[in-house]
Amino acid sequence: MSSFGAVMPSAARGILSSCSLPLRQRAIAPASLGLQQVRGFKDQKKGKGKGKSQPKTDRKGNRDFQQKNLADMERFALCDAMRYIRATEVGREPTLSKYEIHIRIRTKKDGPVIRNMIRFPHAVQTESRICVICPPGSKAATEALAAGAVLVGEAEVFEAVKAGRIEFERCLAHPDSLPALNKAGLGRILGPRGLMPSVKNGTVVEDVAGRVEMLRGGTVYRERDAVIRLPIGQLGFSPEQLRDNLRTTIDQVKKDAAKLNDRISKEVYEVVLSSTHGPGFSLNGDFATDNSPPTSALTGV
Amino acid sequence: MVNFLKRMRKLKTMLDVRVGLGAALFPSQVTATKEFPAVTRLHLTYAKKIYGGHHGARLFWRQCLPRLKYHNPGVSMTVQQTEDQEGPAALTIYFNEQLSSTAAGLASKQLVDKHAPKPEATEKSVVVDLKNLDPKEIWTRVQASTGAADVPPSEEDLAEAKRLAAITEKAVGDRKRISAMRQAKKDQERMLAEARGEVEKLKQG
Repeated sequence: MSSFGAVMPSAARGILSSCSLPLRQRAIAPASLGLQQVRGFKDQKKGKGKGKSQPKTDRKGNRDFQQKNLADMERFALCDAMRYIRATEVGREPTLSKYEIHIRIRTKKDGPVIRNMIRFPHAVQTESRICVICPPGSKAATEALAAGAVLVGEAEVFEAVKAGRIEFERCLAHPDSLPALNKAGLGRILGPRGLMPSVKNGTVVEDVAGRVEMLRGGTVYRERDAVIRLPIGQLGFSPEQLRDNLRTTIDQVKKDAAKLNDRISKEVYEVVLSSTHGPGFSLNGDFATDNSPPTSALTGV
Repeated sequence: MVNFLKRMRKLKTMLDVRVGLGAALFPSQVTATKEFPAVTRLHLTYAKKIYGGHHGARLFWRQCLPRLKYHNPGVSMTVQQTEDQEGPAALTIYFNEQLSSTAAGLASKQLVDKHAPKPEATEKSVVVDLKNLDPKEIWTRVQASTGAADVPPSEEDLAEAKRLAAITEKAVGDRKRISAMRQAKKDQERMLAEARGEVEKLKQG
């Protein structure tokens, strides 16, 4: 190894020299030089980042979902939020547009989540298509069909799901077909969508038909990343109807939270009203303000 | 959930719903005069694609109808999008009891919008042809035939609009600055990668 510079191609020489590295002082093999330089550069950067974030969190990061101070947020009375939402939803298909509610919860990142079903005082009528996995031709199958299930069967359902045709929003299973279901290995496809039937969720039941009827009438909700989202009303609802549904929902969520383990505290932190196409409005708990239009004006299409 | 600042910024576009073309009050049962009776309903029909003069009608729905709905929450407004490019682009205005004095002049008599709901016994309707009109012209016609009174923007709204405009203006410079920073970083990374590649070659050769 005579001179370092002579071995290096001219382009690399130019680049490396511009990095202002003390090439000659250190007796390092040229082959490893570039790599070391790069590694050092990277480490330095990483170190900086670590130094910044270290004081705030421990190794695992923040254990709670971060929730900021709501004082900075502009908040609306129900009627005002509805007025804006109805304005943005104008001309949309009234049967498709729905009011939605997002209940944000102050909670830990791990631990149990709230999941339950609700029946509203004023039905939202979200048409949920229900799939029932049970031996075809059995009594349960005919009953489930009669109760309003869209898809009933075993092998044909598995095939459809594997082909990517998931044309249902709920999935139930009869205990008799549980072995077949597990054998089919659908957990990978249905699991992430929350459709995989399991005994724990109460979606593997003997009385399939009864469950189907229950599911059709109610709305299922669950907490994901500290938010519970669910449709809460049709766009034509009056503010009073929406208020009733809202109250029922929040009361039930609070009850669900209270029902959990004593050591786990979950509290409702923000309630956001939005719609299928509309923006989200943080609600301040009031029904109307002085500037709100009369409730009759906020009803209908 | 999205952070507050982003959500608030998005909500500020609500200003768009309050202020602009079509921010006006229709005569209601209370404010109706003999010349301009109360407006009870609106129905808009237009075709899906823009050729054949349906563009303005769609823009009218996008831009003006939300403002009209915000200021007249009680007036029912429906929109029908059709597949028929040859079909009408029309706005049907429903008046209480009688037509306004100007509406009859602006309406097109032959035009029939079969998607518009039939006027009820107490209503009189008029069909305005919107083909090949831009939203501004459409609004002028609607305003002339209904006697809608413009709602002037409030002081706060104007201040808010000014603030948002300033932010938008600043964003242009900021975007340039950030893109330059990102480019510089990318350049350096590329340079280092090249150097690394040269060294690899050396090692093998």
